Amino acid sequence: MNIKHSILLRVRIAFLVAVLFVFAVIYRLVDIQMVEGDHWRQLAEESSLDYRTIKATRGSIYASGNDLLATSLPFYRLAFDPSLVDNKTFTSNIDSLSHLLSKYFRDHSSDYYKKKISEARQMKSRYLILNRELVNYQGRQEMLTWPIFRLGQMRGGVIFEKIDDRHRPFKKLAQRTIGRVNGDGKGVVGIEASFNDYLSGKNGEGLFQRVAGGNWKPVYASTDVRPVDGYDIHTTIDINLQDVAQNALLRALSTYQANYGAVVLMEVKTGEIKAISNLEKLESGNYAETYNFAIGTTNDPGSTFKLATMLALLESGKVELTDSVDTGDGTIEFFDGKLKLTDVKRGGYGKITVQDVFEKSSNVGIAKLVTEHFGDNPKEFVDLIKETGLGQPLGFQLLGEGEPYIKDPSDPSWSGSSLPWMSVGYETGLTPLQTLAFYNAVANDGKMIQPIIVKSINRANKPVEVFKPKVLNKKIASDETLQKLRLMLEGVVERGTAQNIKNEHYKIAGKTGTAQRLVNGRYMTQSYYASFAGYFPAEDPLYSCIVIIDNPRGWNRYGGDVSAPVFKEIADMIYAQNLDIHDSFAPQYTAANNGTFPVIRAGRLEELNELCNQLGISNYADEQASDWVRSSVNNNVVIWKKNHDNTGLVPNVEGMTLRDAVYILENIGLKVLASGSGRVKRQSVGAGVRATKGATIELELG
Amino acid sequence: MRREGGLFGDLDWLVVFLYFTLVALGWTNIYASVYDPVQDQNIFDLSLESGKQLLWIGTSVILIVVILLLDFRIYESFAPILYVFMILLLAGVLVFGREVNGAKAWFEIGSFRLQPAEFTKLATALFMGRYIATTNVKLTDFSTQVKALLMILIPIGLIQLQPDTGSAMVFAALLIPLYREGFPAIYLILGISAAVLFILTLLVPQPYIFIGIGSLTLLLILFQEKSRKRILSTIALMLVISSFVFGIDYFLNNLIKPYQRSRIEAIFRPELVNPKAEGWNLEQSKIAIGSGGFSGKGFLEGTQTKFGYVPEQSTDFIFSTLAEEHGWLGCAVLIFLFIALVMRLVFIAERQKSKFARFYGYAVAGIIFFHFTINIAMTIGLFPVVGIPLPFISYGGSSLWSFTIMLFVLLKIDMHRAQVLSRH
Repeated sequence: MNIKHSILLRVRIAFLVAVLFVFAVIYRLVDIQMVEGDHWRQLAEESSLDYRTIKATRGSIYASGNDLLATSLPFYRLAFDPSLVDNKTFTSNIDSLSHLLSKYFRDHSSDYYKKKISEARQMKSRYLILNRELVNYQGRQEMLTWPIFRLGQMRGGVIFEKIDDRHRPFKKLAQRTIGRVNGDGKGVVGIEASFNDYLSGKNGEGLFQRVAGGNWKPVYASTDVRPVDGYDIHTTIDINLQDVAQNALLRALSTYQANYGAVVLMEVKTGEIKAISNLEKLESGNYAETYNFAIGTTNDPGSTFKLATMLALLESGKVELTDSVDTGDGTIEFFDGKLKLTDVKRGGYGKITVQDVFEKSSNVGIAKLVTEHFGDNPKEFVDLIKETGLGQPLGFQLLGEGEPYIKDPSDPSWSGSSLPWMSVGYETGLTPLQTLAFYNAVANDGKMIQPIIVKSINRANKPVEVFKPKVLNKKIASDETLQKLRLMLEGVVERGTAQNIKNEHYKIAGKTGTAQRLVNGRYMTQSYYASFAGYFPAEDPLYSCIVIIDNPRGWNRYGGDVSAPVFKEIADMIYAQNLDIHDSFAPQYTAANNGTFPVIRAGRLEELNELCNQLGISNYADEQASDWVRSSVNNNVVIWKKNHDNTGLVPNVEGMTLRDAVYILENIGLKVLASGSGRVKRQSVGAGVRATKGATIELELG
Repeated sequence: MRREGGLFGDLDWLVVFLYFTLVALGWTNIYASVYDPVQDQNIFDLSLESGKQLLWIGTSVILIVVILLLDFRIYESFAPILYVFMILLLAGVLVFGREVNGAKAWFEIGSFRLQPAEFTKLATALFMGRYIATTNVKLTDFSTQVKALLMILIPIGLIQLQPDTGSAMVFAALLIPLYREGFPAIYLILGISAAVLFILTLLVPQPYIFIGIGSLTLLLILFQEKSRKRILSTIALMLVISSFVFGIDYFLNNLIKPYQRSRIEAIFRPELVNPKAEGWNLEQSKIAIGSGGFSGKGFLEGTQTKFGYVPEQSTDFIFSTLAEEHGWLGCAVLIFLFIALVMRLVFIAERQKSKFARFYGYAVAGIIFFHFTINIAMTIGLFPVVGIPLPFISYGGSSLWSFTIMLFVLLKIDMHRAQVLSRH
């Protein structure tokens, strides 16, 4: 073979091989794109594109003052594709990664994570959920700095699946009332359930594409149906009062080892519920919000019902407060001895007035009065009570309101003992909230209003629907009757069964209740349902409140002993916090006008003390008073109360002279701008806010 | 000596045209593979790979001008120095290199990355061309054959240490010019037979292969001249083949990495491979290409090749973007452009008067051919997945620069083909 020939042959062979290879490629392309085309296209569509729901963001629930009670926050579930990283990176980093995982989740050892990941890697798994506990945004950012994870999803294999979870910043506060959301994002109890339709919004739909690791990514097609986010719910709950109420209740329940308890605090004029707490003893002995007793549980109200009985007696015009009643030795029998009522005081109260009967809560007296005046026409009694609206459901905003029950003489179970029984609060079913609404009506000059807990439904700060207090009964009784009732309610605290909560600063009006608990159809003699319902301040009621405690144990188990102190604790806190009630300088102006006092509002204890002493005004500092005080007047005596302490919070300087205010404020690092003349009328940064050094605070004088 | 026609005199404009067409195609497809319809980015956006690629294209044009300005003789004279330098760089990258995707293949200078393996192909081609062209060197001599093979095996060995099987494999393309220059065909035949046997062992259970080898031995002994020597040599040959078959098994089970093994299996035994795991790239690539159909989904309309469905979308798997958006027609055009380029390069090589230039011409044609066929073959499941770029199309500076230099050095030498004496 000559050289030229050989070369030609070689070139041809090379060409042939090349051409063959190119043909193979083109043939395979035809095969994939045309012959198998449909198969691949179908795979492309099926496996990777899908319409999926885009979850609407659930609305938030706010307390009054815009504190967040419940909100949906994005959380992440940590998953991992262990097959992505190469061997070297894997072996050199798996130990530190496992260690960090173990340290972060604090549930398993680092060996556990190492084993789990290594096994998945060996199995060539592309998807492994590392921990079911959700990680928040900060956690996610932190994890993205970890070895392997820092390589990202494409190279490191870390996968963060976004999951919206319900977050309650105040944790257990009003937990049951706020409610809970189930796994499907549906509210199951409380406000979450009752307002679920508003909160949930409307899910959208969008075209999504599957990416490596089984995750879905939006394609942003124009066919997307955008989700409509849920509305925000603004409640009437006041976080501070809720906190006080819940803690006071919890303390009382723990002390008495009671089964459960509930407290509801309501604003008299508006019916707004400021605090609502329900606690039940768990098997562990701890207390938790498990059921909304205040709204859902009807019970024999016991003596708190005597207010309704008295209303009927007075409204019928058949009795006067000064009428005397012989309660005898403290026992009385009805219905041929089948019902025996007794008074708490052994030996009885003897002959007392109608007012005393109520204030001392004499069962004998009440039953005697009722049977005497309504014995021949029990229907009149029942109708008088029902006309007030008591016995009608309130139509409360939350689902699950207990059905009230007031026995009617037409009822087949009506017997000779029914009337006396009812007069002291038995054979009757009321929820604590229903009882409270009745007491609130007495405090509110006879106007019975529906309690509300949801003030408005908002879309981004704009109210969409506002709930106005609904009047259930314009006037439950005549002014005369109401005045008498209020007098007696005040008497209960002043002289009667709740003397233990009497205090010199403000007046409480209310009624104790101690019902025997109905267990398996029988009233237990040593098992009580202790309650206290009332309002304060008695002269000009701002808040009404009911406290119930089921089955307290120990020596003192009456409503006055167990429930009334919880009431007082809440009232005290409101009194201490609310300048409208106690620290308005109004009494001082009156005193000043009388010529007794100069108007002293706030300042330095030392100086004020000296000033008053020179003027011969009796004054003393209360136990908690510190350097800076504000005044409080009580019977021509000035009491100095603590105004602020140096904890770095902005103090209340209202009422101070500019000199004092500037001194205090600049001491904590604030810059003061003042306008006007006189004393400080308004401060631009509210009291109790943490002071930022160098920030400006504007003072308006006047 | 002929008159030189300025900077571009005698330049092969057809190759230049094909080069820029391919580069432009690559640029638009890189854009398509990173394009996000929501952000609607600009193709010039420097934060995108398309914007960066434009910078590489711009610098390539500067390189082209520099190559055309330099004396054509330096490539032959400096070839040995360049080769040694590149070998040193390959050794250096193992020590100082930066690991990317598990391979220490990159030098990192600031934000700039360089892959020496890409440039070693060029250096080896030049160096071997010079060696073959040396007087007295005959490819029929066994020592020459060994030396030539060593020149290829040294860079292959160093690149395999990174490890980067794809880049190492490309050096086999240098067998094409060697063959053209008279390298014994037996090496190629042996190579191809080994490959066929390799595939057979994967497809057919081992016992059958041994039965086949046994029967073949019997047939050969029965039907050929029955001399003792012949029979013994036949048996010896068959024993060598049998041990090779055993060797493949050992190689598959012990020597190569599991992911490589599964990539090989993905081609020949697809039923063994999990499409959600090892088979992911190939499956996704096939879905993308297959769903393109005859005429494709249209520019920027692809759904499978966006968002990093297929890893290395803009680099090694750029072909699937093109196939999805432009369909079979687009693929055919691309393949036609490549074949036209390779054939033109072979034509250019054949018109060279110097052995060096001709060898180099064939080497360039061979390397480009190898790259484009292997790359496309791997995206459609004809060849195991190895990471080699599609010349001029894939995203990446090292790749574009090395192919640009390779091509334009050839064109520069070709411009001066009349200035050298024939050394046939």
